[in-house]
Amino acid sequence: MPDSNETIFKRVQAGNRAAFAILVERYQRRAFAVATRLMGNRTEAEDAVQQAFLRLYASRASYDPRWRLNTWFYRILTNACIDSLRRVRSTVPLDGREFPTADTPERAMLKREQEELLRAGLAAVPVEARIVLTLYYGEGRTYREIAALRGTAVNTVKTHLRRGRAALRKALRARGVDGP
Amino acid sequence: MKTAIGLQRGSRASKSIVGSEIWFREAFALPIETPNFTRRVMDQIDLQFDRPNPADLLTRLELTASSAGITGVSFRRGRGKTARTEAGPIGHILRQAREELAEYLAGDRTFFSVPVELSQVPEFERAALEIASQIPYGEVRSYKWIAERLGKPDAARAVGGAMAANPVPLIVPCHRVVKTNGGLGGYSFGLIQKEALLNLERSTTPYVGCASTRIVCRRGCLHERRIREGGRIHFATLADAKTGGYRPCQVCRPA
Repeated sequence: MPDSNETIFKRVQAGNRAAFAILVERYQRRAFAVATRLMGNRTEAEDAVQQAFLRLYASRASYDPRWRLNTWFYRILTNACIDSLRRVRSTVPLDGREFPTADTPERAMLKREQEELLRAGLAAVPVEARIVLTLYYGEGRTYREIAALRGTAVNTVKTHLRRGRAALRKALRARGVDGP
Repeated sequence: MKTAIGLQRGSRASKSIVGSEIWFREAFALPIETPNFTRRVMDQIDLQFDRPNPADLLTRLELTASSAGITGVSFRRGRGKTARTEAGPIGHILRQAREELAEYLAGDRTFFSVPVELSQVPEFERAALEIASQIPYGEVRSYKWIAERLGKPDAARAVGGAMAANPVPLIVPCHRVVKTNGGLGGYSFGLIQKEALLNLERSTTPYVGCASTRIVCRRGCLHERRIREGGRIHFATLADAKTGGYRPCQVCRPA
């Protein structure tokens, strides 16, 4: 069985820098998905994710192995995104960078459309609700986990989720898409 | 007209109705691929968590040159042998560059006189680098500022790319180019190094005048070296020096 994230991070704490690369490998896909939803732009998302990994590394001494590394990392990541959202004044449109994919062209196109719809819709959702939506739907986090890593009450999370969902649906409808 | 993406068949991405719970789960879960990311993060960690003192940088710099000038300044990872000594004109250029870089990193030099050769650099990048090399010591300009001077005000990101591809960092001071919003932007030697260089430049006065000859030099000029300790007057700007009755040196030509 592969080592748990916590075990690997303990090695990093003990001074093994190379072990950190394993965590970067494990987390990056999810981290990019989260950051891209929050930032609405790949270049900015990349900056934020890189920032988050650097902060995670820099904070290695203050991490307590009793905490789940997931929670710790997602908290750092969402904060890094919020920080750079504050810095980036204007939202830059999604850049058309394409990456190799194993999908058929048709399927890749459908995914791109879905991706683009979501990006456009999320732009209309307030930041905190955007974070909650992303962690809930994209990462499958529970209300309790989201509350813990955002430092809010469970009911606040539910409120953000409800409002976020409504705002997102409204934005999707405004783009002429049928929906519930 | 309403689009009906949600009604097309044949793919997981298409079966669900847009805006439904299932659609949310699918759309949010789409992965984003970014190649080489792990290596880039680990490089940044190496750069940022290994001593960011500018003077230490010198021991890890690798220089390349042609007979026309310096063609590359790069950062050597880990410990390696010092570059072998080269004879002839190339060796002369390499020695001069290393010496000037050492003085620069020690805060004893504010300009470079060693020639650089950028003929291998594509035109746009070269033009951007030439503008960057006009940014005075101790000052910063934005990526946008360079883009505007190139006559392409919307090309700030492309300018960022040109700075990132600068083959001769330090000598062509791409570290003096920052984001319009005050952010540092990027740096091939690491952001902490960029910040350290800017701090070094901010805390070094670029001009030194000789009280007896009333001539002002750029720090690092041959004549500046000869000024006696008691007769050295420091100036933050050339205008200050001129107001004080100093005339610019004919050798280093402060401007």
